[in-house]
Amino acid sequence: MSEATMTAPNNALAAKKAQEASYRKKGIFIALMSGFLYGGYTAFMTQGMATGVWVDYYTPSGVAAGLSAFALVYTLSAVGAAVNDLCSAIWTIIYAAIIGRLGDFARTINTKPGKILIVAAIIGGPLASTCYVIGLQMAGSIIVPIAALNAAIGAIIGRFLYKQKLSGGMILGIVICFIAAVIIGLFGYGIPEDGLAGIVGNLGGGAALGIIAAFFAALGWGIEGAVGGYACCMVDTEVAICIRQCTSGIVNAVVLCSLLSLMGGDGIGSGLALVGHAMVDAPSIWMFFIAGIFASWSFKFWYKGASMCGAALGMGCNGTYAFWGPLYCLVVCGWIFGGEGWNIAWPGWVGAIIMVIGILILAISQDKATRAEA
Amino acid sequence: MKPLFFAMLKLYAKNVGKEYSRVDVQEALKATYGGFKAFKDKDMDAALMTACSNGIIHEARYELDAAGKLVIYYSCTQDEADVIDSYIAD
Repeated sequence: MSEATMTAPNNALAAKKAQEASYRKKGIFIALMSGFLYGGYTAFMTQGMATGVWVDYYTPSGVAAGLSAFALVYTLSAVGAAVNDLCSAIWTIIYAAIIGRLGDFARTINTKPGKILIVAAIIGGPLASTCYVIGLQMAGSIIVPIAALNAAIGAIIGRFLYKQKLSGGMILGIVICFIAAVIIGLFGYGIPEDGLAGIVGNLGGGAALGIIAAFFAALGWGIEGAVGGYACCMVDTEVAICIRQCTSGIVNAVVLCSLLSLMGGDGIGSGLALVGHAMVDAPSIWMFFIAGIFASWSFKFWYKGASMCGAALGMGCNGTYAFWGPLYCLVVCGWIFGGEGWNIAWPGWVGAIIMVIGILILAISQDKATRAEA
Repeated sequence: MKPLFFAMLKLYAKNVGKEYSRVDVQEALKATYGGFKAFKDKDMDAALMTACSNGIIHEARYELDAAGKLVIYYSCTQDEADVIDSYIAD
């Protein structure tokens, strides 16, 4: 690129610089949008899981009468994720058909990049999400900072696997984003009366296992962000998101829900039956469908942002989901549906400002590193 | 038949050192992929820029065409071609 720059006429050089700046701004915008849209996915899925047949599920009564305590904690989380991902997969395929990508979807699945995307989707979807739920159940909110390490892990993977840039300034930006995610995750809904001591004090006997599970969640998301993002330099993101959502939906519904049902002693078919009932539940399914549309665009932009900006900046920008999630929940679950307990305490807003500073440092540092390389 | 983006990258990998702009790529693939909805200037420009920013092809040179629009020529070294070939089979 530097040689081309030196020999190009000035007007061509100016056009090239404008194009590079435009590509860069677009990449950052897309990566930021992935975090913003993730908030909508979180809020509508949360509201869906509190409506219609889900009230029976959590009581448990009606079609869910006799569900084990294990199922109430673990299986239902997987069922919620499965219903969301299946709705998302349906939307993604409809959209792919409209924009003419179904053929390439079929042609890509059985290729090496396609298989990489399938494995990344399983690691970052069902596996990481389950680890996160297990972490929360066993160790409480102390695992939030550990799970927030996913952006840093993605950046490290991008550096070593794909030789992506990672300067000192970029590491500083990632650390600041991580601190912001920790503040929002731990105190975004309010500071516990007994402060940090309360959070740490809640650690039970299984806390160590919970923390390990949270680390695996971070590792899973980090792998998916870096690997999925890189795969999108070869695979059309519209095709990649079809592979991602179909894989995640099917594995969540068929494999994970069945496995968790078996572990909870509810019978291997009970998880899939719960998915089936939820899929035809009119009061809640439309919320899952909206959540699925948000999820489809959010994950697509996550991959695209990481492929355009690199895993470090892409996942740093995506990390704003830590703020947008609670904000969307406040608006959707609190204001629109009148749910109680949804608010963002002042540390949440402070965390959001710190995260913006972290992203700015990350973006500027990456820009400097790119120029130095050129 | 390969997915469109695979075919674009394989064109570079099979012709190491040869420079292709997006228009050249479209010309080379038109017979097979001309009817694809993704066979658009904007989508294919974005695909080439993303491949370039991830280091699997590189910019060889650029110029302004007669209409004053920027035209970027991309190329592939043997190392880059090896990476492409390691992911996308013939």
